Amino acid sequence: MRVLLVEDDADMAESLRSSLKDDDHEVELASDGEAGEELALNGGYDVIVLDRMLPKKQGVSIVRELRQRGVSTPVLILSALHDEDHRVEGLNAGANDYLGKPFSTRELLARVRALWHGRDREPQTKLQVGGLEMDLLARTVKREGKKVDLQPREFRLLEYLMRNAGQTVTRKMLLENVWDYHFDPQTNVIDVHISRLRSKIDRDFAQTLLHTVRGAGYRLEA
Amino acid sequence: MRPRLEALLRTTTFRLALVQAGVVLSFVVALLAYVYIATAGQLIRDSDQAVDQEYLSLERAYAEGGMRRLNQEVIERAARQGPMLYVLANADGTVVAGDFQHLGKLPGETPERTDFGFDRIDDAGAVTRGRARGRLGRLLNGPILMVARDLGDSAVIAGRITRVLWTVAILGLVLSVASGLIASWQAARRAEALSTTARDVMAGDLSRRAPTRAGGDEFDALAADINGMLDRLEQLVQTTRTAGDAIAHDLRSPLTRFRQKLEAALEEPPDTENDREALKKALIEADNLLDMFAKVLRVARVESAGNWRFEQVDVTDIVRELAEFYQPAAEEIGLTFGSQIDEGLAVRGDRGLVTQALSNLIENALKYTPIGGRIEVRASKRRDGRIELAVLDNGPGVPPDERDRVMERFVRLETARSTPGVGLGLSLVVAVARLHKGGLQLRDGLGDAGRPGLTAALLLPAAEPARAMF
Repeated sequence: MRVLLVEDDADMAESLRSSLKDDDHEVELASDGEAGEELALNGGYDVIVLDRMLPKKQGVSIVRELRQRGVSTPVLILSALHDEDHRVEGLNAGANDYLGKPFSTRELLARVRALWHGRDREPQTKLQVGGLEMDLLARTVKREGKKVDLQPREFRLLEYLMRNAGQTVTRKMLLENVWDYHFDPQTNVIDVHISRLRSKIDRDFAQTLLHTVRGAGYRLEA
Repeated sequence: MRPRLEALLRTTTFRLALVQAGVVLSFVVALLAYVYIATAGQLIRDSDQAVDQEYLSLERAYAEGGMRRLNQEVIERAARQGPMLYVLANADGTVVAGDFQHLGKLPGETPERTDFGFDRIDDAGAVTRGRARGRLGRLLNGPILMVARDLGDSAVIAGRITRVLWTVAILGLVLSVASGLIASWQAARRAEALSTTARDVMAGDLSRRAPTRAGGDEFDALAADINGMLDRLEQLVQTTRTAGDAIAHDLRSPLTRFRQKLEAALEEPPDTENDREALKKALIEADNLLDMFAKVLRVARVESAGNWRFEQVDVTDIVRELAEFYQPAAEEIGLTFGSQIDEGLAVRGDRGLVTQALSNLIENALKYTPIGGRIEVRASKRRDGRIELAVLDNGPGVPPDERDRVMERFVRLETARSTPGVGLGLSLVVAVARLHKGGLQLRDGLGDAGRPGLTAALLLPAAEPARAMF
């Protein structure tokens, strides 16, 4: 996919560009806010990655401008200011995701893919991954036709994984999207929740759907 | 420490003393003037009355018995011992009888008061100057009569009163100035002691304290306050120093490991597998460093107050979700996890910060409670109206005398050295508590006497009940 990267720190930009390229994306780079905005408006990008603090025009203003002009390309803001209010300001301006520095490359790649994957999504009432089915209206889950009992939070966790089926989701993404927590738990809390979920959806079946991606996170895939 | 005189004269105390002296002096003068009028003045009035009676009785004698009778009366009365003086003269002023041979002046149409000096000759023949005050007038058909009274006693008393007045006034002035000087010298001496302390502290000796006495006057109160301020200041400086040392220390170890790993990898012949391993380890160290910086910055940001957007926060909800979130992880490592959460608890604050503070407390309990132990999360409204979010465990606990210290930045007990962390968890909780005008309390926990465990309680002021919306 085509990614627009707007980042003024040359080393950082170069390293991100090569990581994105290695992940099979086509990358265009802008090193200040105005150039970035012009490229974004003229466009045809699948995802835009914006640094928050840029020369000439700030990341948040660019997103606001894009949304006002009807450009709906998913935007990820990178920021050294990742306090709650800054994050909320970025999301309110129209950004789709907000990632605080420092971050790992895997985290960035997973989020870029998730953004692209989730773009222009039709409202769905049913999700399906292999033999796993989720009815969002009845709030029921079945594996190979057999009912699976889930607690509300487990349901949300599975829903997020199913919506991003085939994509790697990081622990941080789960923490932010399923629990709305924006801090790093020091313990392996997420892993325990995943293993409980796994025991409910995978244990009695030959095919494993919920995979651990070493060093990165998890992936639900048939 | 001997304040100079010029300096003393400039002090506020001395100026106040001067004003006071002025007030006292005016009062003394007014008082003595009143005393003078009330005493010497009264004597003169009494004398005038006596003179008038005498004059009237002589006038009556003249009316009854004519010049002969009057002459006789005056001769008789002048011969008597006493302060009264008499003179009878013809219409032309020639003295007929009485105590004096001459009249000082002739009277006018109506009787008048007269005030004169005279030479008094006593029995031994000694002459003293006296003053007299009397009545001088013309009787029917022209003879002149004067009755006066020797003012001897009254004059002496008046003189005495005047002298006393001046003595007291001067004495009062001297005393006032002296006491002003003494008071300002004392005040200056004590202020000087405070100044000396301040200068020593400025010069870098933070352990200096202002001297205090048992008296407890305003200088002692001031000195006690200054000492309290210095205590706090010294403690803060100490904390900063400790924090600085801790940062340097805690940064140096991971940075050194980081460097060693890279260096070792470089010195070995290229070997993809080994290099990857070394890089992986270096990455972990770098992450630890970044994590530590992020935490320091976060604590600093919360401590600097700033513009947090406070809102009505449903604490019951937060605690229930956190308990749900951590329970599986706790059970996974062999801990019993319980919760006791009251309904409808709310505070005004920042939802994210309250959540993070409580999660820090839960994670501490998870980290330090040994396998088989018990953790309990409780949320309730206390009788003092505050909301208490408490995490109780039966782990090793914190000795009571260490409880204040572990809330400081970067402080980790010796027993915690083996577990990962940088000692910032509780300082963030304290910072969040302060931001919300609450506090963090550490008490005994779920254990028994020998091993009390720990209760970490975040106390927050309860929000006003939300108004119903229509």
